[in-house]
Amino acid sequence: MTQQDDRSSQVAVNLPELLVRVDNDRDLLRELIEIFKEEFPRLLQQLQVHIVRGDMKSVENTCHGLKGMLSGLSAMRAAAVAARLEEMGRDGNSSGLKDAVALLEREVESVLPELDASITKAES
Amino acid sequence: MKILIADDDRVSRRLLEKTLEREGYEVIAVDNGRLALQQLSLPDGPRLALLDWMMPEMDGPDVCRGVRTLPERPYVHIVLVTSRGSKQDIVAGFEAGADDYLTKPWDPTELTARLRVGQRILQLEDRLVEARESMRFKATHDPLTSLFNRGIIIDLLARELSRTRRENGCTVVMLGDLDHFKEVNDAYGHVVGDEVLQEVARRLLASVRSYDFVGRYGGEEFLIVLNNCDPTQATLRAEEVRNGIANRPVQTNRGPLHVTMSLGVLASRGWDLDFVEEILGVTDSALYRAKADGRNCVRLATPTAICGAPQQLVE
Repeated sequence: MTQQDDRSSQVAVNLPELLVRVDNDRDLLRELIEIFKEEFPRLLQQLQVHIVRGDMKSVENTCHGLKGMLSGLSAMRAAAVAARLEEMGRDGNSSGLKDAVALLEREVESVLPELDASITKAES
Repeated sequence: MKILIADDDRVSRRLLEKTLEREGYEVIAVDNGRLALQQLSLPDGPRLALLDWMMPEMDGPDVCRGVRTLPERPYVHIVLVTSRGSKQDIVAGFEAGADDYLTKPWDPTELTARLRVGQRILQLEDRLVEARESMRFKATHDPLTSLFNRGIIIDLLARELSRTRRENGCTVVMLGDLDHFKEVNDAYGHVVGDEVLQEVARRLLASVRSYDFVGRYGGEEFLIVLNNCDPTQATLRAEEVRNGIANRPVQTNRGPLHVTMSLGVLASRGWDLDFVEEILGVTDSALYRAKADGRNCVRLATPTAICGAPQQLVE
């Protein structure tokens, strides 16, 4: 199975897991998604600055944060891309970094509508 | 119970905060390691902590190391929350002082179960500390009056004398003995005698400053050590103690009893006495004179009463 196949076999957001984590609390879920919408562009911008500066330690740290945030929201596919970026930062491997960031952006684009839709599925 | 969450990721922090509030915890949330250590260093700071591994300013393992070096701080149960799942990382976390770890993304059931384990360990620690303190109290205090026992009050006197010698200060020593106490025991029994001793102990404590020491020296004998006390005030302070006993009767289950105390007093400055035994011997001689002079009075130690040779009189 190729990496692409592996990714496409995963859903963007593991909704059952997310609903358990927030205890079906719709307000909390909404709040977390709002935080994510504020934080993601900020962290992405930070990441791009680190890449331009070649500051791979900061690439690692920022991507570690992104990975935690995405996995907290059960966006496992996007979290896996962030994890790969973190590893590249740790290894000082800058080749393919920009492609990986572009992939992360695409993954997050697919995550957002699913997250928004998840709010209606939470009970209260 | 208070719990600290330290995580720079706002989503994880809020999620943890809400989950733990639902479980009844009083949550304190911070976004970096330095603030985490600051919170955990407070005397009444949280004793449970969930620390993210990677954080700005100070990472989770560094916070663990910092907490473990804090003196006089009750044990803090630390759980590292990490997406770093390698065996090497986990071992490094434990070696830094973490008690447990959770892997991100965490499962709420596992999280709360692990925290309950932490609470059990803290409760166990509290019980051990309580038992140790209770044993320490019993080893240092008289069981009837809860005053310092003879061994400890003498140790405290020695420590105080050594300090005042070093600082060229003055310690006032009082040896008080209840007058005709045997008659109380003979006439009313030992239960009443014990009531009298307990009330006398309360009055002695009430008549000295919070940082002075009062101990039960013998049956009805009490040793009082006034730290850093003006030597010219020694007699006055002893009179206050004497009045505190004699001024009003002691209420017992056999009715009110009038009790008095005789006191021998010594102010350490100027006596050049090196040994506690000498100090106590001189003070006891003064007490003996108080008894001989009719009881219910205070007598200051004088050169004629000294075992050794004093260099000068009390100021």
